Amino acid sequence: MINNNTDQITTAQAAVIVSNFLLGTGVLTLPRVAAEAAGTPDVWLSVLIGGMIAIAAGIIMAVLSKSHPGLTVFQYNKSLLGKWIGGLISAAFIIYFFMLAGYQVRALTEVTSLFLLEGTPSWAIIIAFMWVSLYLMTGGLNPIARLFEIILPLTIVIYLFVMFMGFSIFELDNLRPVLGQGFMPVLAGVKPTALSFIGVEIILILTAFMKQPAKSVKAVVYGTAITVILYLITVIMVIGALSVDGVLTRTWPTLDLVRSFELPGLIFERFESLLLVIWIMQIYSSYTISYYAASLGLSQLLNINLTSCLFALLPVVYIISNIPKNLDVLFAFGDLLGNTAIYLVGCIPFALLLLTKWKKGSRG
Amino acid sequence: MNDNLLENLSLIQEKTKYYSDVVVRPFALGDSGKAGAIIFVNGLADRELIDQHILKALMSIHVDQASITKNYIKNQVLSVSQLTEASSIDEFIPKVLLGSTALVIDGFSEALVIGTAKVKSRNIEEPISEALVRGPRAGFNETLSDNTALLRRHGENASLAFMSIQVGERAKKDLIIAYIMDIADPDLVEEVRRRVLKIDIDNVMESGYVEQLIEDNYLSPFPQVQSTERPDRVIAALMEGRVAILLDGTPFALIAPVTFSMLLQSPEDYYERWMAGTLLRLLRFFAALISLLTPAMYVSFISFHPGLIPTKLAISIVGARVGVPFTSLVEALIMEVAIEILREAGLRLPKPIGPAMGIVGGLIIGEAAVQAGIVSPILVIVVAITAISSFAIPQYSAGISLRMLRFVPMFCAAAFGMYGVILFFLMLCAHVVKLKSFGVPYASPAVPYRLSDWKDFFFRMPMFMMKQRPEMLHTKNQKRKRN
Repeated sequence: MINNNTDQITTAQAAVIVSNFLLGTGVLTLPRVAAEAAGTPDVWLSVLIGGMIAIAAGIIMAVLSKSHPGLTVFQYNKSLLGKWIGGLISAAFIIYFFMLAGYQVRALTEVTSLFLLEGTPSWAIIIAFMWVSLYLMTGGLNPIARLFEIILPLTIVIYLFVMFMGFSIFELDNLRPVLGQGFMPVLAGVKPTALSFIGVEIILILTAFMKQPAKSVKAVVYGTAITVILYLITVIMVIGALSVDGVLTRTWPTLDLVRSFELPGLIFERFESLLLVIWIMQIYSSYTISYYAASLGLSQLLNINLTSCLFALLPVVYIISNIPKNLDVLFAFGDLLGNTAIYLVGCIPFALLLLTKWKKGSRG
Repeated sequence: MNDNLLENLSLIQEKTKYYSDVVVRPFALGDSGKAGAIIFVNGLADRELIDQHILKALMSIHVDQASITKNYIKNQVLSVSQLTEASSIDEFIPKVLLGSTALVIDGFSEALVIGTAKVKSRNIEEPISEALVRGPRAGFNETLSDNTALLRRHGENASLAFMSIQVGERAKKDLIIAYIMDIADPDLVEEVRRRVLKIDIDNVMESGYVEQLIEDNYLSPFPQVQSTERPDRVIAALMEGRVAILLDGTPFALIAPVTFSMLLQSPEDYYERWMAGTLLRLLRFFAALISLLTPAMYVSFISFHPGLIPTKLAISIVGARVGVPFTSLVEALIMEVAIEILREAGLRLPKPIGPAMGIVGGLIIGEAAVQAGIVSPILVIVVAITAISSFAIPQYSAGISLRMLRFVPMFCAAAFGMYGVILFFLMLCAHVVKLKSFGVPYASPAVPYRLSDWKDFFFRMPMFMMKQRPEMLHTKNQKRKRN
């Protein structure tokens, strides 16, 4: 089954989707997560290394998908590994994407009810959000890509604006000494950043929809690079402004950074509302694409209509999002997802790539 | 028809007995002894033409009966340019009803149908709904031939094509699809033609009927076909590779496909120098955003997050609202609905009273409402800014879309505050990116990214830089210059 030709996306759109998927909850929590593990101001190095690893993993996945033109991961691993093992791996991916969608929706609820809507029941927040996303998804991948193309530039412009406003309380001393405790803390900080780089795996699916699948490597590299740069700016600004010790005590350090300065003279003296606006849009995009990927996988795995998958799985994601009892459990859930991602995204595509090469070699 | 005049006339009388405006005028063909009659509709046919070139010529024939043949009449007597033959009464009566004059002569079994239709058309005037400071003052009128002539007269262009189609089952009307042969995408022209041919309705009153019958999505609040009274706008659209539809009897031409960016463009952007054009266009985008979201922002800040606005401002807003008995949503709804009613009433009023009404409504009611403590003064400012901003949208139909839409985020804001407004924005974006107008994504050129088209989107780049037609329209000839 070759995918519908009319629903194709350009290389730029693929890059934008990768970027949008990556930018999610991580923006708000990354400085704390990385600082907790590393304990030194060098976490920006950890983020850089993490980003490089993510790009490497992305390249592997892009190459893998490129060698199966027109097929998504759910389709080609069936032909590579047979119906049962392939199906099992597909199912793992699908469950993973669903968990991710649930996690994102829950993180959205937490932040929204903390900063914007005290007292509004979380089910109302979640349901409204899920319907808006569903409306977009029923249009297929192309409208999704187009909407993301609107969201990403808005995000980048507003985000950079808000971050650079933070220069008023930025102190370079907070980032010193560089490598004061050697390189080991940096490495320790790499793994916890994994959750922030969840999202590159979407290229496994996107390549099948690209007009020029040959350029999928380019798309994933550019898409990830944009995110790595934004993350680097975030970590440097937040740690520079709040110091490592300050970051550790804050649940959402990036938001706290933005709340901690006021610039008189402009109409809005406080910028957290702007940050929240773009953050909600980012969560929307991450959630939409992971939900879409999961539904697409399910429909391809079981050969059922995509639209009915989209509708049928709403309650599933709703229930997943309600499982974590509190914020600590939610973050633990996030860590679990990050760890899963390392195996699912790091190891399986590599194995599949080797298998593809080997099969091609034995055939030719 | 047979060759006996009297029998023919009684047949004609029988067939036209329900048309009291049909005139049958018998006469003698000079001194030849032959008789004839003309049939025409009072008011539709040109009396002067009939008197001077038909009756006078026929009545002053000085030849004998035998030499009066059909060819003689056609070639030597009637000095009119449009002349056809009809072999039956049923064939010529529809033509007579459109203004032609039928000539029946004793001894001829065929009638001559002479084009005498005289359409009373309005002069070419300045379009009222799309006034410009700079630009041509000509607007379309209700006569199709005048309108096509306006397009033809724009400049010598052998590739400007007019495709004529009749629409309406009972009242057949001429409709013309205009495009430029070596620019417009043939698939687009074919798609427009296909949709126009599918129109199945007994009467097409105005081009608005056509618009609604050929649009892509009837549930969308956005116009998917642009209507305009300005020939220059139509020409510009044709030159970009779009297709125009002109209908007889209306000064509003349609342009398809529409993309979102067109709604906020004005021909003046191109007539003024590029800096002014760019800034005005950016201003309009800003105005559109204000008119869409300001009331919603007011509601969400008042009801949910006074903490997000600067403290001093928050204090003064809250202070001004002391004593207002309604929630911010009800308060905003009262004022917004009031201003919509005012605007609607202002449209219906005779011209001299309109402005007075605006003053009475806007100033006095607003002032009194504040004095009475029903609404807060800040809200009056918000509503006024919103209304003024919505007037900055150059297209009436696009303005209506925004006027309708701005009530939706108000409710979203009342339910979810800023979060609701963001969801509304996402919903709106999702709708726009899903929408297509004749196969062209509505959101283009914004998305999918077509950087070369962005020269004429938020910005209006200097003329020398805009040498390409919009990429999104897949034109046959991409360059706007000598080949």
